[in-house]
Amino acid sequence: MRKPKILVVDDDPDLVKAMRLRLRANNCEVITVSDGYSVIGAAQKERPDVIILDLGLPAGDGFVVLERLQSSDTLSGIPVIVLTARDPQGNEQRALKAGAAAFFQKPVDNDELMNVIRVSLPHRSAPGVPMMS
Amino acid sequence: MRYAVERQGLLRSLEIASKQQLEFKNHFLSHVSHELRTPLTCIHQYVTLLLDGLAGPVTPEQYDHLKTVLKSVNQLHAMIRDLLEATRAESGKLRVEPRCVSIGELMQQAVAMMRPAAQGRQIGLEMGLDSRIPLVYADPDRILEVLINLTDNAIKFTEAEGSVMIKACMTETDPSFVYVSVTDTGRGIGMEAQPLIFERLYQDPDSVDNNRSGLGLGLFICKELVRLHGGRIWVTSDPGHGSIFSFTLPLYSLVKLLAPVIAYEERLRAAFVLVRVDLAPLTNPPRGNWRETWKQCLETLRRCVYLDKDLVLPPMWESGATETFFVLASTDMAGATIMTTRIREQLERLANLKTKGTLSITTAPVELGSLDPTQSLEIRVEIVAGRVTEMIMASMDRKQKSPGNGVKHFN
Repeated sequence: MRKPKILVVDDDPDLVKAMRLRLRANNCEVITVSDGYSVIGAAQKERPDVIILDLGLPAGDGFVVLERLQSSDTLSGIPVIVLTARDPQGNEQRALKAGAAAFFQKPVDNDELMNVIRVSLPHRSAPGVPMMS
Repeated sequence: MRYAVERQGLLRSLEIASKQQLEFKNHFLSHVSHELRTPLTCIHQYVTLLLDGLAGPVTPEQYDHLKTVLKSVNQLHAMIRDLLEATRAESGKLRVEPRCVSIGELMQQAVAMMRPAAQGRQIGLEMGLDSRIPLVYADPDRILEVLINLTDNAIKFTEAEGSVMIKACMTETDPSFVYVSVTDTGRGIGMEAQPLIFERLYQDPDSVDNNRSGLGLGLFICKELVRLHGGRIWVTSDPGHGSIFSFTLPLYSLVKLLAPVIAYEERLRAAFVLVRVDLAPLTNPPRGNWRETWKQCLETLRRCVYLDKDLVLPPMWESGATETFFVLASTDMAGATIMTTRIREQLERLANLKTKGTLSITTAPVELGSLDPTQSLEIRVEIVAGRVTEMIMASMDRKQKSPGNGVKHFN
């Protein structure tokens, strides 16, 4: 079975490196983008199974990215998991209303994040999916 | 006269300045919290990577050191969270979303979450619950937070071999509230500290230094959360022998909610049907934003009923993922069938529900035959509300015992 492909969008290179290690250890293929502007292009080219999106991004705030993804016929079906240091009060509801599948405040519990990625994957939620360690 | 006008003007500008100051402080704290979280996240990620062996094997000694780092990171995280919560409480921005909740379930959750900490310190953690306790009207997440905070404190300030007990009971003196208490056999709190313990940033000077891992905001946040629920919180303590932290929560009063539906223009309505709507997510845990899905369903449900003679009850809370709503409709079974058809049509149109959950609607008539017409309207309203409550409780009990089997006496 093809490895799940995850697009990580965050402007903190140290955090992106750690996320890449963690996701790869969970048998995922990882692509990364560090600004809001490049997300749509990367998503169209790579067709990720899930997008992990920070809200505070250079060149296009996370909410703008969510809006663009939702308005695209080809990309609106990709589950977006918001992972941000911002306060959930206000931001969580706004992100969910804008189409995010889940909202996590940093620092996130890794097991919880992996679990949400697993259930967000289309046709991969059956037990025994090789992704989970 | 001129002085009075000037004085008023000065007072107004002082008030505006103090509001602006508070706004500035809130904004500043929110910004600082965001900025602190970013490096903290990085430390958290790399420490957990090392602990999980994803960057190569670690020796047992290194593992212990990393565990200490992770513990400190988690403490810092909790402090940042408390700081924000306390600021919100101060500026009136702390929010609660009360629902119909079983306090017993919340206590069980708190005990399950705190048991490892209690075992680690060789402290017995027990729960005592009067099974007749009715449902309370509370925000489940927030009350769980209060229970965990009080239990965590109790464990922290109790020596090994001691015990902590969480209890809930009713009292005759205050029948519209449930009393919840957390009792420990710890060192207790001095008389002079007791009135101050719920104040912001207060820390008992008698606390042993290595236990002072917080900012002194936990109990202040608990007090504010309980206050927002309409309850109160207090402590009684016997220094050297232990403390009892107690708080009250209002009962979920169906009678008060249902009375305007049951009686109209000084008369009891002719017939009632209880409609039950279950929304079950397709996956467990639910896929996507399930909370948003069931909120949309609730809004739709409210649009499907007659506001003047039907009532959509506040959502029932349970630890499972299935959401259950009840509607009391003042109609007979024929009218209820028309209503449920309308509800089904409207709910099935929701795109979110189509992809994320399944819907089940059942109805049951409320028995009115044995009502004594010579009794006062008030008493008859109470009897009908009591019957509706019993039907709801029985229906929820059955659901808990056999999940997914539906309700047998509903058809």
